Amino acid sequence: MKYPVHIEDWVAWTADSGLSIRPGHALTERLNESILPRMLRRRLNATGRAVCDAASVLDDGAGSPLIHASRHGDVSSSLEMLQGLESGDPVSPSSFSMSVHNAVLGVYSIARQHRGPTQALAACGNEFEALITEAAGYLATGQHAVIAIFSEGEIPLPLQSHTESPLCPCVVALRLTSETGQRLLAEPTVAAARPTPLQVIDWLSQDHTALVARHRWFLERL
Amino acid sequence: MIIDTLELEDITPDDIEPQAALFGDGLGLDSIDALELGLALQKRYGIKLDAEAEETRSHFASLNALTALVEARRVH
Repeated sequence: MKYPVHIEDWVAWTADSGLSIRPGHALTERLNESILPRMLRRRLNATGRAVCDAASVLDDGAGSPLIHASRHGDVSSSLEMLQGLESGDPVSPSSFSMSVHNAVLGVYSIARQHRGPTQALAACGNEFEALITEAAGYLATGQHAVIAIFSEGEIPLPLQSHTESPLCPCVVALRLTSETGQRLLAEPTVAAARPTPLQVIDWLSQDHTALVARHRWFLERL
Repeated sequence: MIIDTLELEDITPDDIEPQAALFGDGLGLDSIDALELGLALQKRYGIKLDAEAEETRSHFASLNALTALVEARRVH
């Protein structure tokens, strides 16, 4: 099935520099230094900073909608706060203010004076398809482009055996349009999966492979 | 304390002018930093501030004002 969404450009970051990203698409190749001023940068961990930097590479400043999906968000920080509360310590106001799922795009919107729509999603492992579905909605309303970012940070040890997580913190950002770039194609599958950002990066970096989620996703060959 | 509490990257104590404003212009701290500093003063020195009181604003005006507050009201 042809999906009404095209990938015009994409950029990726992983905390492990040994993982291969298609040449020309690594964040470090596209950006020399973080776009975040130092007073805002301190509020985000490495993954959050990479989300903002990756978005900036694909954002032409026209106010395109930004959607950030993460299954777990900054769960390390949330767990630290809960552990602090359990031992009777007061919660850090800045940690608390950054613990909401839309905090990262909030920082981005301040740093870049972005006044377009922003949206944060968590979808129990179905983040890739949630992003594509939301983007299709925005594009159908006449938006020229949508920037969809999928990230996962460090999963703290006590949670690792309770959830699926990628090998290392990772971010993939897609610039999606209704007409330009490579079109997305979807096929039904009987073996659904819940891809992490690393699997999306791997899919975009290799040729002829499908991304298995609730559907099998392909890129139309140009 | 300010640098550690607020995770000010690349800033050393020498970079903070004693007379300069901590908030807005000057060092450039924001309202969340004010809450964070209030909590740090309570934890480290036992100083409890009233967030609504007008004098709290003057205690946070500069490094000198904050130092004077700690010296006058520290419990430990």
